[in-house]
Amino acid sequence: MRPVSSLSLSPSVKVRLVSAGFRFTSDLRGLKPLQLSKEASLSQPEALEVLQTVRRVVGGDEGGGGASASLTALELLQKEEEELRSIVTFSSQLDAALGGGLPVGKTIEICGAPGVGKTQLCLQLAVDVQVPSCFGGVGGQMVYIDTEGSFLLQRVVDIATAGVRHCSLLAEDDEQRVAMETFTVETILSNMFLVRCHDYVELLAELHLLPGFLSAHPRVRLLVIDSVAFVFRRLFDDLSQRTRLLNDLAQQLIAMATRHKMAVVITNQMTTRLRGGQSQLVPALGESWGHAPAIRLLLHWVGPQRMAAIFKSPAHMDSTIQYQITSEGFRDANQCEQPQSKRPRRHTNQPAASQRVTSC
Amino acid sequence: MVVLRAEMCPGLDEDLVKDLRAADIKTVEDLVSSDTEEVAQRCSVSYKALFAIRRVLLAQHTAFPVSGADLYEELLSSTAILSSGSPSLDKLLDSGFYTGEITELSGGPGSGKSQVCFGVAVHISLHLKQSVIFIDTTGGLTAKRLLQMLQTETSNREEQMEALQRIHVFQLFDVFSLLDCLYSLRAGRLQQASVGGGGGSVKAVIVDSVSAVISPLLGAKHNEGMSLMIQVAGVLKTMAKDFNVAAVVTNHVTRGDGGEVQPGLGASWSHIPRTRVLMEKLDRTSVVSHSSLRSATLIKSSRQVTHSPARHGAQIAGKRCTKKC
Repeated sequence: MRPVSSLSLSPSVKVRLVSAGFRFTSDLRGLKPLQLSKEASLSQPEALEVLQTVRRVVGGDEGGGGASASLTALELLQKEEEELRSIVTFSSQLDAALGGGLPVGKTIEICGAPGVGKTQLCLQLAVDVQVPSCFGGVGGQMVYIDTEGSFLLQRVVDIATAGVRHCSLLAEDDEQRVAMETFTVETILSNMFLVRCHDYVELLAELHLLPGFLSAHPRVRLLVIDSVAFVFRRLFDDLSQRTRLLNDLAQQLIAMATRHKMAVVITNQMTTRLRGGQSQLVPALGESWGHAPAIRLLLHWVGPQRMAAIFKSPAHMDSTIQYQITSEGFRDANQCEQPQSKRPRRHTNQPAASQRVTSC
Repeated sequence: MVVLRAEMCPGLDEDLVKDLRAADIKTVEDLVSSDTEEVAQRCSVSYKALFAIRRVLLAQHTAFPVSGADLYEELLSSTAILSSGSPSLDKLLDSGFYTGEITELSGGPGSGKSQVCFGVAVHISLHLKQSVIFIDTTGGLTAKRLLQMLQTETSNREEQMEALQRIHVFQLFDVFSLLDCLYSLRAGRLQQASVGGGGGSVKAVIVDSVSAVISPLLGAKHNEGMSLMIQVAGVLKTMAKDFNVAAVVTNHVTRGDGGEVQPGLGASWSHIPRTRVLMEKLDRTSVVSHSSLRSATLIKSSRQVTHSPARHGAQIAGKRCTKKC
């Protein structure tokens, strides 16, 4: 027995139901749509919808099946091991920090100052998600939502070529060689679905249409939105509305990520926060946005060296790794001329780190 | 306003309901507050019959007073205190999470709320051998992390698997699914979960986080947000009371007028949890902090002195064993 106001119906319908005296679902038992529409002054289709919702909800409660299926944590573990494999990147340090690769079924945010490599990492992931499963990859397609116009096709071709070359060098047995035939630059490009959005309305509309697209393309394993900050930072007078829209967006993204078993990568920009006379570089879009992604990566510079830090993750320890952007894409930082030291890398030793980095 | 129906009580048949409707008496409230003699005359039914009906309806729909002593007895016998797995947090909470109440953990991103929730779930399922219901609305729950936490507590694989089976996970991302889930739990799935879950009744319902599904609805244009928020609160409270479970919810934070950090969802929500804890990262000078220490402050409690910050060392343990090949 539930109050009618907790049902998923339009508010005006609920108001009319309550004022006609139907406060609980038990009050609506045994009513025909015609009767209900007369008593609560609803239209016929509205009355029908109300009764169908009530039937579904009450049936769910009594039948025990319910609208929401639950898993035990053990079943979830098995599901994670079988279906939700991580996306292996070409940077072994990043994979290690993330416990095997970019997790599928989660929202990941990449923030950083301009030029540090956010779009490069996104383009690299666009190729990584397509690596065939016999090489340890996920073998999926991807959707790239570009809001900044930073998707450069030539760069993608370079990264894809380097990826194909890397895998063909690794191909040892027949299965891998067969897989290499379908893993070429042409197929990589044909498995990337590109959408260009110019403002936040287009972005929200695209996300509204995306579930239909994803049902038609079940192989999609990665959604990249580059970047969310760009469209939400312009022309927004009402900041509280922006916060609400962003929270809603976040929930839609995590729902899509879980339901369609894909990783959602969002890039964010940086802004300056002034606190008591001191300024600090923080991710944009406000503090409440910080709750939205499950995992947050910060790309920053320490001297001339680029670093990637995981600073929010419920499943991984906060850690920082070094990386570089080469013509082949996002790779581990070259360790060429540094002495092999047993001392663990601590970036509190910042002066020491910048002295240690040599140009390779 | 409960609508009068024919099967509500003996003596109230279809014809009488129709007559009452004609006399503009549609709900129980109308009948009870009207003049019985006048209505009996208007509907041409005997005064005694109508009086009897009125008495039965009153008995069915009124609340009964309970003596304080009985209430205290019931409380003593049914309340349990669940440890959170961290001794300093337990001390802050007056030995742990109390069943029959809602406890709120609020904090900024990365402050450790989800980790505490995982810790509570693991502790209850492993050490107390009872079931836990975990409602995840943020996508932050991974079974691997739960397994990792279990592995630091016990190395027996059987026990780990059993403990995992006692944690029931719901992944929901909007408020209506949350309401559906909570109502169906209250209507009986709670008992089902305890029977099927390998023994042990459900002792805690954890919602991580409740603000993620409600905050998009609070604001200027949406007039339903508050109502849905209070409904979620209502069903959680009644579930906690009726089934003797501890309800734990997490909340985000906002900045108040003076710039200080306060829990989200506004003043209306602030009355709902019995106990509220605010968690923060200790190192706030940079985005990437290298300390895994967090601080937890009690900001609302009916049992303890509030505003006494306790150092709550949330060292995320067990990371050494997760190199995935």
